Amino acid sequence: MLILPWLSAAVVAAASWSQRVHAQNADQEHAVRGFFNAQSGSVSSHTNNWAVLVCASRYWFNYRHMSNALGMYRTVKRLGIPDSNIILMLADDVACNPRNKFPGCVYSNAGRSLDLYGDNIEVDYRGYEVTVENFLRVLTGRMDPSVPRSKRLLTDDRSNIFVYMTGHGGNEFLKFQDNEEISAYDIADAFEQMWQKKRYNEIFFMIDTCQANTMYSKFYSPNILATGSSEIHENSYSYENDNDIGVAVIDSYTHHVLEFMEGIGKTSHKSVQDLFDTYSFEKIHSHPGVRADLFRRPLRQTLVTDFFGGVAQAEVLSSALVSGQGIPNTTERSHAQEAVPEKLAMVNAVEAYRTNATSGQTSTQQIEIVRTRALDTAAMFESYARGEQGSFSITARAWASVAVAGSLIAWVSRISKH
Amino acid sequence: MADAAAPAPPSPPVDLSRITFESTRNRRRIIASYWFIVILALPLWWRTTSIDRLSLPESRARVLAEKHLSSPVHVELRGSQEQLEHVHTLHHELARWISPVAEANGLSFTAGQGPHTRKAGPGSYNVVLENRQDAVVEGRSLHIGLNEPSAGQRVIDTVTKILVPHVSQTASEEHRVVKYSPRYRLAFSLLNEDASSGRAALSWDVREAVDTYLHGTFDRLSVLHNFTIESQVQYHAPLAFEPRAIHVADNDAHGLTPEDLTVFVNSAEWTLASSSSNDPVLHFVLFVPSSQHSPLYILDHEGQATTSDAFVLPQWGGILVLNSPPSHLTVSELAKTFHTFHRQLLTLLGVPDLPAGVQSRQAEAFTDWQLDALVRQRARQNFENSKDTLNSIVKLVHQIENMPVGEDVQGDVQDALDALDAALEAVPSSSTQALQRSAEALTLSSRAFFNPGMLALLYFPAEHKYAVYAPLFASVAAPLIAAIVREVIAWRKARRAARQPEARARAD
Repeated sequence: MLILPWLSAAVVAAASWSQRVHAQNADQEHAVRGFFNAQSGSVSSHTNNWAVLVCASRYWFNYRHMSNALGMYRTVKRLGIPDSNIILMLADDVACNPRNKFPGCVYSNAGRSLDLYGDNIEVDYRGYEVTVENFLRVLTGRMDPSVPRSKRLLTDDRSNIFVYMTGHGGNEFLKFQDNEEISAYDIADAFEQMWQKKRYNEIFFMIDTCQANTMYSKFYSPNILATGSSEIHENSYSYENDNDIGVAVIDSYTHHVLEFMEGIGKTSHKSVQDLFDTYSFEKIHSHPGVRADLFRRPLRQTLVTDFFGGVAQAEVLSSALVSGQGIPNTTERSHAQEAVPEKLAMVNAVEAYRTNATSGQTSTQQIEIVRTRALDTAAMFESYARGEQGSFSITARAWASVAVAGSLIAWVSRISKH
Repeated sequence: MADAAAPAPPSPPVDLSRITFESTRNRRRIIASYWFIVILALPLWWRTTSIDRLSLPESRARVLAEKHLSSPVHVELRGSQEQLEHVHTLHHELARWISPVAEANGLSFTAGQGPHTRKAGPGSYNVVLENRQDAVVEGRSLHIGLNEPSAGQRVIDTVTKILVPHVSQTASEEHRVVKYSPRYRLAFSLLNEDASSGRAALSWDVREAVDTYLHGTFDRLSVLHNFTIESQVQYHAPLAFEPRAIHVADNDAHGLTPEDLTVFVNSAEWTLASSSSNDPVLHFVLFVPSSQHSPLYILDHEGQATTSDAFVLPQWGGILVLNSPPSHLTVSELAKTFHTFHRQLLTLLGVPDLPAGVQSRQAEAFTDWQLDALVRQRARQNFENSKDTLNSIVKLVHQIENMPVGEDVQGDVQDALDALDAALEAVPSSSTQALQRSAEALTLSSRAFFNPGMLALLYFPAEHKYAVYAPLFASVAAPLIAAIVREVIAWRKARRAARQPEARARAD
């Protein structure tokens, strides 16, 4: 009969425990939320990186566009994105162009000190394969089943994607191959479809073309950071010529970005804000823009390597898990359990470390300035795009053309009457 | 005579109406035939320029969006005669405390007591109360001790964790688990940093090792995944960075800092997997450092060498550093390596751990409880993902008006919805069936989403439309319309002329 009080004690204990469980759950939830906030606030929650690099123009005199794209290719590869995760689209093959005095080589500077073509390059789409349709198919994943793995963007909701485009463009469009063009709406829709299918965690969109900033003005999907080389009604210029090659070898904006990237290693803590801070009209000869209103993390804490690097995290398996001889038996199991918190602590420490390193010079004021600037440009484009004035002028033009056609018809019939 | 003398009047101009094509009737016919062709062509033009947008079963998708998979789980409490009272009390407590947690995670939980209340099925488990200190799992039974004051709490705690292990999962654990795929490719690589430097493993009995150490696991996981295996040996796989020089017990050594681990894979120079299919790849790398970098240790944050020699890259795979290997790795020498790989594989696939203090008595690598929990979790994820995909297809078709919807898309959506219904139907009897149906639904809905025909037409601004159509149609339309106007005027004139003599005659 001693058992009854004992049992009631057990039940009471269970009840109090359950309350604790609920409290614990709340705590846990809080912790989890905090973790996610921290994730969205500072450390990227991606596990893999992808890059889509597009050179949209062909012909020898557009040599610089090929070297723009190849320069980016070299950089993302150097910083750790494997070839299998890079989709490189080159509309022409300048390396093997008969006019190229240095066959098999593409240089990005006047001294020809750096051969971008190198000996290990994988072009996924080349020549006439570089079309608007193929580009949109790569982004949305709507491919024929026979398309090989190397030509596909096999991303998921843990992927950070860097999209770089270069070519000849204008207000809200970019020319492909001199015979078709992609509009800002098409890219915005493609990104939205990717978002709906959870095909990305974050996108960093970079474009170097004339009036480049108009290309990202139509984006409406979350987690996209965009930057372009020049404002509306503004050209983007080449950087320098090489006298032996005989054409411009690289564009000013891309040259500037690549120069910044040269100072970055795989474990660098430079943020994208550091990159944007180096933009200046004196160096680039156009006004580069940044659009961050869709992006959820502060730019100061967004590392350049979140988009250009390889992997963000690694977890050390504690030796207890590993030292097993034979199929993990019971004792090791318990060891494994004990080892888990240690492992987690280590991961947290990695994160804390990175946060500290990046938040070192964080100043909220600066972030705000950036925000407002980005918002201003965005608002400007938006008002331009959907202003009543715009639609009115379109209708007015339409009616005017109807009137012209009508008067033409009337005139013809008058003449025939005489 | 006078008449005869008078000069003959000039011959009247040729009557134009005598020329067949200038006869009013013919002329009108000709003009009408032009218009006839234009009007006949209109439906053709309409058909060729409009986008084929078949309707999708939207209401069905919306109804399904509200539903969730809920696997039944039954726990049977047993105990010896003297523990019947415990069993009775605990049974109520179990039902009371576990049900809410289970329900939030897609389980409908019931508890029973006594030996014969319900037959053993896939979703039913036994909890046997015994006189012991520890807890042991065998098959679908949990043997747990009940001889300390806090034991009731411990039982509830353990049963919760073993039934819904994903509740206590941290974000980083969730992070490293790969996305579900019915097929995976496992790529085993033996990488020698520099085989010419002396210490190198030149070959390994990988086929036998996989058979010996991993085959059982593959069999156990076959309800979830199919595995394709490939392996390779590389003799020159340089690192892209210089490991830090350290001293371990007064010997020179090298170390990998936590940051080095994230950039360890030198993707620019290592080719780790063939790209023969589109299945996701999990990499398992056995890395042998060159003699200059040997021995190579993994460092902690203070720069001290840890005892661990392996790490996991979330969703990518696992890496193991092997210092000073023999030149040929036999099956027995690969035992430790493959146990690490095995552990990494389970981690990446999301096989949950047993709760602390619970031991397995089974020979297999993981218990039925764990496998069942994983199957339920995957079924639920697949179900939700498939639903999300279907709803995003519906949403996108509404949002993007230029997006075509073909018959195959319609069919795939239809089939995916059927598969989801089948999963809902199957889940009370078998979670494995539900998993298979939900995986099918996921494949079908993804195929519908990624249908090549779903590519939207390019955006075409209004100005461009005028610019394209005006030169084509204005030049054709002007004479056509002008001709009609002329005809109408001529017809009215003729009618007035015809009426006027009549009127004049009446006036006379």
